[in-house]
Amino acid sequence: MRLDRKNFLATTGAAAAGAAIGFPAIVGAAPEPIRLGTIPCLTGSNALLGQQEHEGAALAVEEINARPDKVYGGRPFEIVEEDATNDNQSAVSALNKLLGENVVAIVCPVLSTQIQAMAPVMKTHEIPWMTGGTAVKNTQLGVPGMFRLRGSDGITGAGMTNFAVKDKKGKKIAILHASDAFGVGGADQIVQSLKKLGMEPVANEQYPKDAKDFTAEILKIKQAAPDVVLMYIQNPSDTAIILKQVHSLALNVPIVGSPSLGNQTAMEVAGKDAYGTYCAVDFIVGFNSNVATHFLTSFFRKYHHLPDVGTGSGWVYDAVYMLADTYKKQKGTDPKQTIASLKGIKNWDGVLGTFSADAEGNMVHSVSIGQNQDGKLHLVKKVSG
Amino acid sequence: MHFDPVANMQLLVSGLAFGSIYALVALGFVLIYNAVGVVNFAQGEFVMFPSYIAVTFLLPAITVFGTVVHWQLPIVGVYLLVLVLMVGFGLLFNRIAYHPLRDRGWMPVVISTIGVSIFLRNAAQMIWGSQPIVMPSLFAVDTISVGPLHIRPQDLLIIGVTAVLIAFQFFLFERTTLGKQMRATAQDRATARLVGVRVGRIVAITFVYSALLGTISGLLVAPLFTVTKEMGALIALKAFAASIVGGFGSIPGAIVGGLAIGVIETFGGFYISSAYVDAIAFIILISVLLVRPQGLFGERVAEKA
Repeated sequence: MRLDRKNFLATTGAAAAGAAIGFPAIVGAAPEPIRLGTIPCLTGSNALLGQQEHEGAALAVEEINARPDKVYGGRPFEIVEEDATNDNQSAVSALNKLLGENVVAIVCPVLSTQIQAMAPVMKTHEIPWMTGGTAVKNTQLGVPGMFRLRGSDGITGAGMTNFAVKDKKGKKIAILHASDAFGVGGADQIVQSLKKLGMEPVANEQYPKDAKDFTAEILKIKQAAPDVVLMYIQNPSDTAIILKQVHSLALNVPIVGSPSLGNQTAMEVAGKDAYGTYCAVDFIVGFNSNVATHFLTSFFRKYHHLPDVGTGSGWVYDAVYMLADTYKKQKGTDPKQTIASLKGIKNWDGVLGTFSADAEGNMVHSVSIGQNQDGKLHLVKKVSG
Repeated sequence: MHFDPVANMQLLVSGLAFGSIYALVALGFVLIYNAVGVVNFAQGEFVMFPSYIAVTFLLPAITVFGTVVHWQLPIVGVYLLVLVLMVGFGLLFNRIAYHPLRDRGWMPVVISTIGVSIFLRNAAQMIWGSQPIVMPSLFAVDTISVGPLHIRPQDLLIIGVTAVLIAFQFFLFERTTLGKQMRATAQDRATARLVGVRVGRIVAITFVYSALLGTISGLLVAPLFTVTKEMGALIALKAFAASIVGGFGSIPGAIVGGLAIGVIETFGGFYISSAYVDAIAFIILISVLLVRPQGLFGERVAEKA
């Protein structure tokens, strides 16, 4: 284009007008969002757990971003989500991708097996890792900045065992568990707890990943004639199918399960077959704080269904709020400073209860034993680690 | 472990029930393989998708595309409706996934079936979400107890329906013109065309028949499994192994292979270890293939080769 006087004036005029229009936007540029990574299992056989994590994080971020000051100084959260799918390799790939996205903290998938597979990569990045994976080992992997927002299997396994032996007067205890890191780790905790009580399980059966027929395992347990069966299972669908088969094969003894037995989905799918069962859970509706009541109300309003608080959405909601509170307090998102602040957390009120960090990064130190009475979970007792 | 006749009877019923499902799905694999020379990797979704359609019409309330719908139609009517819909699905599958690629060798068709499988699973998650869904059973009771024996009527239904379908299949292939045309197409499509068989139509019928076998498997097993988007894939994996044990391409092989895998994994889980039940099934698979690379009934593989 030839730059004559007419063109020069038109060009500079347009530039001036553009600058004038853009000026306020430049001066008042939106504060930079805080990028928070999440890796739920959005596809595959654990997609339900992933969906619950996604919902918990999305709700917390929506609420925080609706505050006048957002996280702090007008900076909103921005979720960067990658799908961990259903296997360890995909989880590691998702993590590597996420680490290239300039995120300041990561909410991990709930599956302990995936957390353990991701650990070598996690060790090389000093950022806060918020996890709901309950395998005891998760906080002993040497990952700096690992924080667990649910009761560990150590607390849950011991709580289940003590309840079976002391409260239900069980003398012959059988175990049925999944063959993943969660199931094996939980069963190990039960065996150790039994050993402390001078006992051994009369049967200890595990089922392979993706099994749908549990006749062999249940019949083997039935042959051992236990007076209480302890179940350590993560997948709510597996839990429901097992309870149906336990019922149809007439294994009529008290069942005490890991948190999935109190999972809303498992209870709905199992229906009457879950009535009367006990479980060690992170959360029981009706026995909660104002934070939990707010969470339940907001969740139902947004998603039109009840949340799976413990295993699914609640701990993720807590994780996002805990990070937001920490960033607000320190007026920054520096990962090392955040890890130090999280290590100092004491009596922080969340959906799942009151959180205090110990040296390993465990934030929750008790679980509840509940009983399914006509489809609703009722508190039996609280157990601490 | 002591010998317990009651436990063995329960294991047998359960093993035969699951083996029957593997056999029906394996038949679907084999029929399509025989008709068009490729493995249909969407066979598992022929089990899953109609199960979702069935629960949509059966349940008093179900969330579809985020909206709660209330159909609650009578169970037998829903079964018939789903079967009719799956006839259309089979025809559509043939027209979209196979027909346009039929002259380009086996690889594009196999990739096309894998693509349809992934699409259907993702579509199921998008439409119905990730929640496992319970499908009501035809029976009012979950268990029939005869003394110490506790049998699920659904298991007996699965075994009974499979037996009827197998009998129907033999009748179809041995006694009807359609069956003979299907066999002729499977053995040599070019010659079949020369003698007046409308090969394209027979292939379409084969896809429809496989879709119906998958549908019946899904309707039978869903009350035991819960309906999830993964349910078909889990069954298809075992059914594929079953069809290889039986001899890929062999109809009796698919049936015997399916039943064998079902029974072996149930008894193996009880008498050896349930932790290694998949390993046991695959050790058997490898052993059979070492002794008889063509499978138990595998003459047709040699012919095809």
